[in-house]
This record gives sequence, C-alpha cells and structure tokens, in this order.
Amino acid sequence: MIARDHDQPHAADALGPHPEVPGGLPAGSMVRRLTLPPGRPFDLLVIPTADPTADPTADKAQPTNQAALAEQAQRWVRAAAESVAASSTGIAAAPVAIPLYGCYVIWAPSHGAVLGSPTRIEQLAGTLGEFAAREAELRDLEGRGDKLLATVESDAPAAFEFDDRTQAIRSRLAARFLEAVAVRRGLASLGPAVHVPPIHPPTLASQLAERLRDRTRLAERHELASDRADFSFQVYEACGQRAAEFGIARRQLGLEWAIVVILVAQLTLMLVEMLRFGSST
Amino acid sequence: MTNSNRNAGGCLVRIAIVGGGPGGLFTAWHLNELCDRPVDLTIFEAADRLGGKLHTPTFSAAPVRYEAGAAEFYDYSPVGDDPLLELIRSFGLPTVGLGGGQVQVAGRPIANLDDLQEAFGPGARRDLIDFDTWAHGAITPREFFESGSDYTASATPAGRFDGALAGQASPTIRTYLEAMIHSDLATPPAATSVAYGLQNYLMNDPAYMRLYCIAGGNEQLITALATRISATVRLATPVERVATTPDGRWRLTTRSVEGCCDQDFDAVVLSLPVEALKRLTFADPDLTAAMRQHITHHDHPAHYLRITLLLDQPLGRAAGDDGYLMLEAFGGCCLYLESGREPDASQGVLGWLLGGEAAAALADRTDDELVASALDTLPAAFAAVRGQVLEARVHRWTAAVSGLPGGWQPLSVDHRHRPAGATHPGLFVVGDYLYDSTINGVLDSAEHVAGWLAADLIDASRETR
Repeated sequence: MIARDHDQPHAADALGPHPEVPGGLPAGSMVRRLTLPPGRPFDLLVIPTADPTADPTADKAQPTNQAALAEQAQRWVRAAAESVAASSTGIAAAPVAIPLYGCYVIWAPSHGAVLGSPTRIEQLAGTLGEFAAREAELRDLEGRGDKLLATVESDAPAAFEFDDRTQAIRSRLAARFLEAVAVRRGLASLGPAVHVPPIHPPTLASQLAERLRDRTRLAERHELASDRADFSFQVYEACGQRAAEFGIARRQLGLEWAIVVILVAQLTLMLVEMLRFGSST
Repeated sequence: MTNSNRNAGGCLVRIAIVGGGPGGLFTAWHLNELCDRPVDLTIFEAADRLGGKLHTPTFSAAPVRYEAGAAEFYDYSPVGDDPLLELIRSFGLPTVGLGGGQVQVAGRPIANLDDLQEAFGPGARRDLIDFDTWAHGAITPREFFESGSDYTASATPAGRFDGALAGQASPTIRTYLEAMIHSDLATPPAATSVAYGLQNYLMNDPAYMRLYCIAGGNEQLITALATRISATVRLATPVERVATTPDGRWRLTTRSVEGCCDQDFDAVVLSLPVEALKRLTFADPDLTAAMRQHITHHDHPAHYLRITLLLDQPLGRAAGDDGYLMLEAFGGCCLYLESGREPDASQGVLGWLLGGEAAAALADRTDDELVASALDTLPAAFAAVRGQVLEARVHRWTAAVSGLPGGWQPLSVDHRHRPAGATHPGLFVVGDYLYDSTINGVLDSAEHVAGWLAADLIDASRETR
C-alpha cells in the first residue's frame, strides 16, 4: 500500500526534493518520504519526545517545549501543505491535529507529523502512514468519480437512444464504463478499511486510526463517493446496453438482407429450373 | 384491569403521577401519545423544579452551564432501536458524542492496551484481553441491549460481581476495572450482580453502546417534555399518603404551602426513587405489605456526589479530545471535562462524579472541604486548574439510584411495574431502578406503564360499548 523511499530509491527524484528537517527539533527527528497511491509523495515529520516514562497526559509535567514542538510541527505541516496546494489545486485542506494521550499527530493530505515517546513513535508513524495511504486512495477515487460525474449528463442521452452519431463515441463510452467499474471496484476494496469497527480494548494505534477516520469523515466520504460511482456506473451501463443492442440490431439487419437475397436467388433458380423442366416436357 | 375502568363510560379519567423527574414526565408524554381519549393528568413534584436527576444549572459568576446530575445518555442504536435518542431527536435537540476512557491506575494513565503493557507488563495486557473475551462471551451486545427485559432475565450470569472479578481478573486488572467502572456502578462490586457489573464494563465498548449528551445541556430534554405534555403540574407538593376510597378510586394526600389536601384519582403512577417510596404512607394493609416487599426487593441504594468547578479559561490541550477520564481517587471517580462540550466557551468547566460509598461518606462534608479534596486528585496535566477556579458547586445525590437495578433476582416486567397487581391493579410504579439505573431504562419503564394504562382504557371503552 505505502512504500518508503529507501525501499524505492528512484521514487524520490520523481517526487521532488526530499524536505529538510526543520531546525530546533530534538535529536532523532526526521522527515520520511512515503509514496502513496497513485504515486503521490507524503512527507512525514517524526519527532521523538525526550521522556518516554513521563505521564502521557501531563503536558505541563513534560518538558515545557512539548507544546512548542507541537506548534512547530503544525506550522511545518500547514506551510508545506499550502505550498503543495498552491502548486496544484490551489485549495489547501486544513491540517487535522489530534492530541492523543501525550502524543500529538498532525495530518494534511501531503504532509504529516507525529510527536511521541520513542517507544510509541513508530506505532504512530505507521498508523498515520497507513491512514494517509487510505485517504489518498479515497481522494483519488473521489477525483475520478467526480470526473465521471461531470460527463454523465452529456453522455446520458446515449442510454436512451443509440444511433450512427452516438456510434462514433462508443469507444469513449466504453472507456468511461470501464472507469466507473474501476472506481466502484476501488471503493469496494477500500470499504472494509474505512468502515472498520472500533477495537475493544483499544490500542494506541486503533485509537489514532479511529480519530483520524472520524475527523476526516472518511466513512461519509466513502459513502458519498460510492453513491456517485454507482450513479455513473448505472448511466454507463445503460449506455453499454444501448450500444450492444444497436450493434446487434445492425448485424441482424445485414443478416435479414442476406436471407432476402438468398431467398430471391433460390426462387429465381427454382423458377429457372421449372421453366427448363416445363420446356423439356 | 385498573380502576380507570370505572370512568370509562365517558367521564374524564384522572391519573396521578407522583414524581416530576424524567420518569414522571416520560409517563405523561406516553400517556398523551397512547391514550385514545384525553386523560386528566396531574404531576406531583416535591421539589420546586421538574427534572430530578436531569439538571443543568448555571454558575452565578458567569453564564456557563454545567451538568449537576446525569451527565450523559446511552446510545444503543448500534445494536437496536433507541427510543430515547429518537425522542431527543424528535424534539430537535442536537446531540454531541462523548468519548474518553482513560483510567488512572497507580498514578499511571491507562488509555489503551499499550499503556497497560508499558505500566504493568505484557501479562497485564494478556489478562485484560482474557477478561474482555470472557465478558463479551457472558453478555452479547443483544443481551446487553435487552437487559432488564424478560428476554434476558434468565440468560444473564448469576452471582456477585466481586466473585466474578476475583475469578476472572488478575489483581492488577481488577484494580484497573474497579477504577474504570466504579463511578458508573456507584456501589462496591460485592453489592451488585455479575450482570450489572459486566454491563458497566461492556458499556465502554462502542459495539455495545456509545455515550452522548445534549448540546446546550441535558435538562433541555425536560424543558422539551414539559412544554409538550398536557398535564397539571404541582411543584413543591409532596405526596404523603396513598389510600383507596370506598368506591375503589385512589386518594392522595399532599402537603404544600397551602396545607394538606386530598384528591381522588382513577389510577396512580409512582415515579419515585426507592428512597422516596419509603417515605410514602399507604393506608391499606395489603398495599402496605406489597409495597414493602417491592421496596425491600429493590432497596440497593447507590450514591453520587458531583463537584463542579468553573475555571477562568477553557481547559487546554492537556484535556485532549476526551470528554472524561477516570481517576483512582475516591475508589474510582469520573472527571468530566465539560468545556470540551462547548468549543467556543471562554471559561472552563471541570466536574468530578464520585460514586458509591465514597460519595455517601463525603456527603456530610462542607462544599469547601469537598472542593479541596477534589483538587488534590487532579493529575499533573491539570496542575494549573488550582489557580483558575472562579466558582465551585457541589450536588449531593444520596441514594438517588440503585446499585443493583432489578434486584438480585429480576422479577417479570409486569410484576416490577405493578407491585400489588392482585389487590390494587390501579397502582403502578415507574423507575430506573426497575431496569438499569439509566435515563434510557426509566423511559422503557414509563412506556411500559403508559402502554398498560392506555390499553386498559381502550379495553374499558370497548366493554362500555
């Protein structure tokens, strides 16, 4: 699902320069670049906090820079997410910040950060990476579904009537039908990960995953995307039905003419034979 | 067949509801909904307000609300129909989910299995999973949902909860579980059943139920009910005596500032906690005996004490997303982070819910002493709270709920609601102590009694015709 760059050394070059670790962070802080579907980069800032045995709720008891570190991480994610958004869609989704029992997790579609004790940090990073991959997959499917939906209205007449003019866009309709199938398949395979029931007793990872799903309304988005994909699928399925019927009707017409020609030929031959037989007697 | 038949011929049937808490108001609401003709309802409430344990007052130092009684409702919709949630939604009241569950054990905050393992080792993690597996096997979500009904009366595990804890949980896990559920249980494990103890553990699993509250205060439910029901409400009018008249009707003796007064009714619904039932006088010896039996069966008092602080600023990030956490202090108490319920609040609200023997023992202390004791229990994350207190309020709910709802041996649902059915069929009781000590339970109870009364009225109308 997700791949780290050190697993795919060439991916980093294609995905742009590897970001630097912001200054002033504790030793051991790093930025990991993950590759999310469909090939998008996701930069994850990992900040291990100093005291693994400190009271995880005790922000005030922990080193006072814990709050400052969280602020810094949030600023880094926000700035990075805004710069990515400016270079692509122009719309930046507000980062989601989740304080979680002494840990701190920030997520935006292209960047994320985790703060936590060294014993927990890998668990948090893994969960955030897994969530980011799911979210990216859903985001991609949402985008593909939206594109399909934009063409549905202009293509819908072909679901009612198919003629020689529409025959020209047959392959395009077929491609869109296949795209609708692919989007539906993608959403169906994503379903179990999106609608996973809460685990009890919970683990830190399950709590983080649950909060991330909840805060990003993943289940609602999945449901909406599924409804939209179903709608597009139904329209293009009907188009496919009409196209197939049109093709069959055309083939039938040719066959009918062939039968007529054969019958005429047969009658002609019979007539010729009868005339020959009549003249010989 | 109730005494209400007597008036089935055409006169308005008069029904008295004793108690203006959620149970009394739910009963009135359902009677209004279910009866095929208008009934004359009178609600007698001893206090000067309706709502009982649903109470959302405002601090005097700032116009900030807080929950002084029941802090949350239970959402059973993951398993089945939830009439309370449906009722709240039908009134257009917005609800807010309530999350949490961190438990402080030996000074360590335990929010998940990883915390447990880090604090007490992998054995503790395994032990909790084993206990959890056993608990899920003992009561399924469906059985949990049906708890209190005749359906599960024979299926629930028997015995005392302390015995089950000793048998199924290691000492560490037992300490963790007791801190986790004590404020809900409000009674020591030895004083309650396995079924009720397990229900209070399993309610932490979202597959069984979820918690929510009404945005803007839980008492809005009471306001919504009070404005919609058709009934005469008599506040500050305690009922002292219940008697029957020679013509088979019911005579209630009430006391108010205007003095004593007798009023006759066709049926009576007693919607009172067990402690208040004890104070009622019943004129008829048979009824007295039946009510004594009813009270003895259900007399398992549990106590609550709520300490709430108004802070000059909202709770910070220390509170996280959680709406509450469990502290080990006071034998296990719940710390509500109430300002989390109103994100735009400029002040903070922090509330302790003490339950059980600790609540009973501390109830006599002064408010200042209680506030000081509560502040001493705060985890380090809330150290700054001490200097932020603007106002403190204490509410004592002594013997307000049952620590063993339904009793050791649950009675049939009909028997529970009509303690003297054979001799006095027109007297009904409604209460959360008959089901599960929750607002959801008292709604079920009220619906049962109102349905019964309404059916009797319909039957009586047919007979008259």
